[in-house]
Amino acid sequence: MTIHLILDGIPATITILARRPALTCRVGDQIWTVAETAAADAGTVVTIDGEAFHLWRVQEGDRVHIKLGTRTFSLAVDDPINAAAQLGGSSNAVRADMPGVVVGVNCAAGDVVRAGHPLLTIESMKMQMTLTAPRDGTIGTVAVKVNESFQKGAVLVVMAAELEATPS
Amino acid sequence: MPITTILIANRGEIACRIQRTARALGLRTTAVYHFADRAAPHVAAADAQVELLADAPTAAYLDVHQLLAAARATGADAVHPGYGFLAENARFAAAVEAAGLTFIGPQPEVIDLMGDKIRAREFAVQHGVPVAPSCTQTGTLDEFVVAASALGFPLLIKAAAGGGGKGMSIVRAAGELRECAQQSAAAATRYFADGRIYAERYVERPRHIEVQVLGDGRGRLVHLFERECSVQRRFQKIIEETPAPNLPSAQRDRICEAAVNLAGAAKYRNVGTVEFILAPDGEFYFLEMNTRLQVEHPVTETVTGFDLVAAQIRIANGEDLWLTQDQVRQRGHAIECRICAEQPEHDFRPATGNIKRLRIPHADGVRFDSGITEGLAVGAAFDSMLAKLVCHGVDRDAAIARMRQALHDLVLLGVDTNVGYLARIFEHPAFVAGQLHTGFVVEHAASLRAAPLAPRERAAILLAAALATDEFRRMAFDIPEPHASIGHWRN
Amino acid sequence: MSRIRSTLNTNTPEFRQNTLANLARRDAFRLRQQTARDARPTRDVERLRKQGKMLPRERLEKLLDPGTPFLELSSLAAGLDYDGEAPGASCITGIGMISGREVIIHADDSSIKGGAWYPLTVKKIVRCLDIAIENRLPVVHLCDSAGGFLPLQSELFPDKHMAGRIFRNQAMLSKLNVKQLSLVFGHCTAGGAYIPALSDYAVIVRGTGAVFLGGPPLVKAATGEIVTVDELGGCDMHTQVSGTCDYPANSELHAVALGREVVAQWERPQKWAIQQTASEPPYYAPEELYGIIPDDIKRGFDMREVIARVVDGSRFHEYQPAYGTTLVCGYANLWGYKIGILANNGVLFNDSALKGAHFIELCNQNATPLVFLQNITGYMVGKEYEARGITKDGAKMIMAQACSRVPKFTVMCHGSFGAGNYGMCGRAYDARLLLAWPNHQIGVMGGEQAARTLAEVKTRQLERDGKALDRGVVEKVYQDTLGAYQEQLSAYYATSKLWDDGIIDPLDTRNALGIAISAALNAPLENPGYGIFRF
Repeated sequence: MTIHLILDGIPATITILARRPALTCRVGDQIWTVAETAAADAGTVVTIDGEAFHLWRVQEGDRVHIKLGTRTFSLAVDDPINAAAQLGGSSNAVRADMPGVVVGVNCAAGDVVRAGHPLLTIESMKMQMTLTAPRDGTIGTVAVKVNESFQKGAVLVVMAAELEATPS
Repeated sequence: MPITTILIANRGEIACRIQRTARALGLRTTAVYHFADRAAPHVAAADAQVELLADAPTAAYLDVHQLLAAARATGADAVHPGYGFLAENARFAAAVEAAGLTFIGPQPEVIDLMGDKIRAREFAVQHGVPVAPSCTQTGTLDEFVVAASALGFPLLIKAAAGGGGKGMSIVRAAGELRECAQQSAAAATRYFADGRIYAERYVERPRHIEVQVLGDGRGRLVHLFERECSVQRRFQKIIEETPAPNLPSAQRDRICEAAVNLAGAAKYRNVGTVEFILAPDGEFYFLEMNTRLQVEHPVTETVTGFDLVAAQIRIANGEDLWLTQDQVRQRGHAIECRICAEQPEHDFRPATGNIKRLRIPHADGVRFDSGITEGLAVGAAFDSMLAKLVCHGVDRDAAIARMRQALHDLVLLGVDTNVGYLARIFEHPAFVAGQLHTGFVVEHAASLRAAPLAPRERAAILLAAALATDEFRRMAFDIPEPHASIGHWRN
Repeated sequence: MSRIRSTLNTNTPEFRQNTLANLARRDAFRLRQQTARDARPTRDVERLRKQGKMLPRERLEKLLDPGTPFLELSSLAAGLDYDGEAPGASCITGIGMISGREVIIHADDSSIKGGAWYPLTVKKIVRCLDIAIENRLPVVHLCDSAGGFLPLQSELFPDKHMAGRIFRNQAMLSKLNVKQLSLVFGHCTAGGAYIPALSDYAVIVRGTGAVFLGGPPLVKAATGEIVTVDELGGCDMHTQVSGTCDYPANSELHAVALGREVVAQWERPQKWAIQQTASEPPYYAPEELYGIIPDDIKRGFDMREVIARVVDGSRFHEYQPAYGTTLVCGYANLWGYKIGILANNGVLFNDSALKGAHFIELCNQNATPLVFLQNITGYMVGKEYEARGITKDGAKMIMAQACSRVPKFTVMCHGSFGAGNYGMCGRAYDARLLLAWPNHQIGVMGGEQAARTLAEVKTRQLERDGKALDRGVVEKVYQDTLGAYQEQLSAYYATSKLWDDGIIDPLDTRNALGIAISAALNAPLENPGYGIFRF
């Protein structure tokens, strides 16, 4: 379990090695002990191998902004799940959540689409919904036509498989 | 009838600055804003607010019709234009007056005069104010070369019709003049469809010195001393101070006198600034006159003790100038730096973001003028200047020391700024020695670059960032005993 | 609590000899362990890599909180069975920390015969889930198994504690509100399919994860239907259509990240309030344990010297120090937890048995977990002791111990012979964890003792039959018995059969017990209560 950050465009990783007697982390290829205390002025004191750094810090989404001395730094911190999710292929099949009928087809085999691109408009229980691409990629097959009805769970659109073959 | 309500036709720090004085004087203010600025501090702090409708945010603040309608709707009897936007637009000034409102600024015709660079230059020459020797091509290239050579070298050659550095070149010796002139003429033809070129004495390592003047429009006029504004990036000032360092007092007197002569000749009303180029040899040349309140006015306020916005309002109310020149005194030294949302390491590229944390330095002799607040979004629509930090000291060294501390104490997180870069300027030996010229930033580019982080500093920043995240904090601190004490152990 | 005054002399030849012998034992143990964990045919590893799979231990390291311990259980299970074909019984179990929560992990090892379940695999998984039930420990299953090893189905399918028990235990856990998470990395076939299905949360990896009662070949044989793995029980089918699994994962690392996030949602356990102090390391060097443990199974040693190298600050409050001295009883702290220790310093007599029973009752009333340090040759035998009621006194100790409400932990420090094993919380007595040192031996009696006993029986049989005393026949009985015992008495034999929860390096005793006690506090403490003590 490692935290991935980017500082000044340079990626870095942090792994916790120990917590007692002091929090000890590997940062890149170096090992440091770290302690953190709140400063009287509402700033933060981070002590690295016994040397105290008074700094200011604020988190904003996947970024952390830090002021140390007169310099400020803006670091990107990877969300571990999102980072891990990028490592493999996501779903190829776009399925029907409920039985219905196709009202509109907005894609064709071979189309290159971004995640979220509208693929089909379907109608079910008097309500229209748009089905979107689950990931960036190419449309493999569109299994339905306008006015065609389908059952719950039916595969309506299949994204073309990504580079890796699916093992049996 | 004296002014009771001022519509401030501006935004950001200057709108807040004007509101502050208006409030102190018991006047009401009307704020105008574009939707993008709805959360900006200048809106909430005013007594009345009017939204300006426009697709482009900047267009809103330039919409004379809406501004005047806003003034009418909120009972404003005066308009303060601030700086930028319509501040030096003579037609706007005239429209304000035509609407029966008081324009807090100079007479429209003076704005017009000073706004036309060629007329302003001629006006300066007429009134004995030195201008850089120059000549414009009127006849053949050969005639131009003869006339230009007479100005002395080095020379700056540029297109007569345009700007932006197109066809601009510096000629250091007579032998190069003809060829450069030909090239400039070709470029001028290409870019501006007008092959005429212009030559001007080029000043190497020039300083930018300007003089603050205050007049009542009826010939009474004083100067409030000079400001040194040489530290610039991308042709914009970032540090201003007064008094100018290393400026002999006789020379200072001559420059201030020239400014008074020029503004006096124009029967200048309100506050204005006469800008000069100062050459290393001590010669100085009129550059232009800004017919408005300057961004850097606080340094003058700080050392003279005058509130220039209050002065503007008194003058606009028709008061005679209440000061004589010998009543204007300087006390100590003041420096201002402009805090901008930008990335100095990427050629000062403007930056955007959200101000997530703002902690304003509070100390004796420290002034922070801004139009920002925590939570405000900084977009690309407007100028990148977020705030001005002004420090006062008994002398220049004391002011610099305060500035260093103030930049250290200022916390502005969420958008990239030039705070660290400014701090490096204030540490730079050339700056401390007052060795300033408009090429300062370029000359010292290498030594002004941030030093690479020491490994321990880098680790501190990375770990502090990691410790800001819940995920890492939980991992670091939420491990129960005895597991935390046993640590990584496999049996 | 005062510190034990060690009388150990580290300058004796005996200390040196013990140290060398026990270090050699430790090294041999580590070598077996390393082989069981990591020695895999390159072909199998490459096959997993090609599928984008991590090895089970790599998954584990990614899943656990960094910088935290993992107490692996029964690392040498099945080591002496199936001709060594199923090292570690083809799975990994152990207690560790995920997202700050204590969990027990069961991970199939698909680098061994596709993770097929052998009979001892089933036994190890059932034991893992028993530990989960006893300690109310949440379970994380890392599923990647080809299913039951069919040639041995009769030994893993039909009986009470066989494969069905896995799913029964899962159901019991759920009933007890103990969370379970399955990360489906590979196949969950047949019964194995119920593991994710009976879990509260299931993550499945797209492309490699699959869950089905019958795989494609079985389906084809049964109904003629031809179907791919993915269509039949793949990630998208189960997360989008059947709802058998909850979270689709794009990769194994994604599954691990999702799994950590799922565990992070679980409420933190309300542990019962054990007496606790700040922990301190032992005053005496734990490495000296190697010089204390005798090289000879028949030699005794002072168990206080062991206690001094395991507990906090080597401090020990000894109970009844002058009475029943062959059983050392007393209080100590371990990783800050207050514990009651019972340790053998020789054969159990009437007084030592009564002392032990009394001390166990004290700990039960006092809510103090019990740690048994076994080195026992049994209860004293002979006319005098039977007449004094050694059997009923031993029964009292067994009654007190068996009915204990506080969690019990047993460490097999040396020999464990005869009925002493019962009184000292042997395997049958539900120690929350039972660990053994590599020098440990276990049996109804010692090898030489058994050989002598059987030789004696043979001699009397020959006498009864009126046959001439054939020294050769008696000697053969003696030697055969000794040989058989030597194999079956060994710690490796015992651990192969899962008679314990694993062999550990003696130096690891302190950490292992700390983790085990911490885990045990998750289960609520019942009221004290016993059966009838025979007086």
